[in-house]
Amino acid sequence: MGSQSYVTIMKEWDIVAARQMGRDIAKNLGFGTVDQARITTAISELARNIHLYAGEGKVCFEIVESLEHKGIRVLATDNGPGIRDLSQVMEDGFTTSGGLGAGLPGVKRLMDDFDIESEVGKGTKITTTKWVR
Amino acid sequence: MNLQVQIDEGNNGSVVHLSGEIDVYTAPKLKDALLPLTKQKGTLLEVDLTHVNYMDSTGLGVFINALKSSNEHECKFKLINLQDRVYRLFQITGLHEIMDLNSTIRGVDE
Amino acid sequence: MDTKDLDARSYTDLLKGYIKTQDERALYGAEQISKSFIKNNILPEEIVNLHIQALLEIYPDLHELIQPSMNFLLEAMISYGLAHQEYQQLREKQLELRSEIHLAARMQQILLQSEIPQTDDLDIGVISVPANQMNGDYHHFVRGKDGSINIAIADIIGKGIPAALSMSMIKYAMDSFPESEMSTNAILKSLNRVVERNVDPSMFITMFYATYKPDSGKLFYSSAGHEPGFFYSSKANRFKEIEAKGLVLGVKPDTTYSQYELELNKDDMVILLTDGVTECRKGDQFIERDEVLEVIRTYMHLPAQEIVNRVYRHFERIQNFQLKDDFTLVILKKVV
Repeated sequence: MGSQSYVTIMKEWDIVAARQMGRDIAKNLGFGTVDQARITTAISELARNIHLYAGEGKVCFEIVESLEHKGIRVLATDNGPGIRDLSQVMEDGFTTSGGLGAGLPGVKRLMDDFDIESEVGKGTKITTTKWVR
Repeated sequence: MNLQVQIDEGNNGSVVHLSGEIDVYTAPKLKDALLPLTKQKGTLLEVDLTHVNYMDSTGLGVFINALKSSNEHECKFKLINLQDRVYRLFQITGLHEIMDLNSTIRGVDE
Repeated sequence: MDTKDLDARSYTDLLKGYIKTQDERALYGAEQISKSFIKNNILPEEIVNLHIQALLEIYPDLHELIQPSMNFLLEAMISYGLAHQEYQQLREKQLELRSEIHLAARMQQILLQSEIPQTDDLDIGVISVPANQMNGDYHHFVRGKDGSINIAIADIIGKGIPAALSMSMIKYAMDSFPESEMSTNAILKSLNRVVERNVDPSMFITMFYATYKPDSGKLFYSSAGHEPGFFYSSKANRFKEIEAKGLVLGVKPDTTYSQYELELNKDDMVILLTDGVTECRKGDQFIERDEVLEVIRTYMHLPAQEIVNRVYRHFERIQNFQLKDDFTLVILKKVV
């Protein structure tokens, strides 16, 4: 486990701050240009979901190390309305924002590990990790 | 092709004006508009088909559904101003004998 | 990994060559490589990255502002990459669904198989083609102990899977009737009760049911709101609509039906169909019912099966080989 840093998402421009912080961490960890872009896009998507559906939340970054490799873990949490049907939002072709944006399946594709917990009325917590290849 | 649904609500019932085509694609919209109106006890529900130039069997299905529901809820259900082509469908299927139809309009074009 | 590296190598080589010669051959190479990228699931952002690497190899002293501009392009490609992956996934899912429906359609075909009875009296032809994979039209032939031939043709409202599902219901209901001992109107009456009890309130079925008695040469029939068929009198050399009144199945539980009869003489024909035949569309225009008769007249010198095949092919062509509705046509030709 390494250091942890976070960005609070309250307004749209906080999404950019989250992207910036994530990209810097990814770059320092030694991710290539393509992976940096993918991680950043995933962060963007998570932060925008918070902004659009919960209004307020946090995107935290963690450097994780296992025996063989290093990686970046992104944690997006909010106390928003929560998601009733997780299988549905994880299905391709389903996006509530009208088809644009990658949606959660997109985040899952951009990253290596993905996990989501959500409770209606309480909030959502998404944990996702990408490993340096 | 599209179907426009316009509902005029009066004192003792409603008149639904339809225009366009009633088929597999537009039937759900018609059903959603019509069914709630058939559940108003003691009212008269008229559906004006002056501007319906095409209807397929799915459309008949919606009207059958509306007829059953209106009988159940004691609502009077009536179809008015059917074009020839549409009237023929009711005739072939024998529905003209159990439904209140009035087809004063003969083959209006558009 | 191998093909990926190979593509990367040849991409760089091709780019080098093209910059030098700017000839069409290199561009043709680019087309080939583009196909290889798709085949190997290389995403657009990876291609941009490949381009950046190739540029840096060819021009080690690349202007320092070119690289950030390429990174910008790479970033802009990410969403396209995602969209492409989603598309691939949906395509796979679609193939899965298609094969599932294909299986169901094959099962339906087996379920609905109805052999055409061979008799000395009647030459029978039938064709039934679904608009999509599953058929919402139904027909069957049953031979009675006394040599009579029972024919049912039905159209279930709508098409596709829901129609196909309710069709198995009719099939099993009819299998439970002693068909050859019942009058045609009694069969419709019993069937109406089954359908009325079982279906969704907006669902209904139209059916024409006929029994041919070889002893008398008579055809007895009843209709439950079915698209009228035609009778061709050889003597008069004219087609006439077969009139029969009756309410569609599934609307009123206590509906009764009438039985009608028709005498068939040598070379007379009975044509039964569903509205997929009469409601063919030519562009925006519907065909007229008479048009169907004209086409039948053209081929009526042929055996019954040949007639229905030709008529189908005619209307298939008119509709650009894309049926709008399920198409079923039965022709009975009295041969003696």
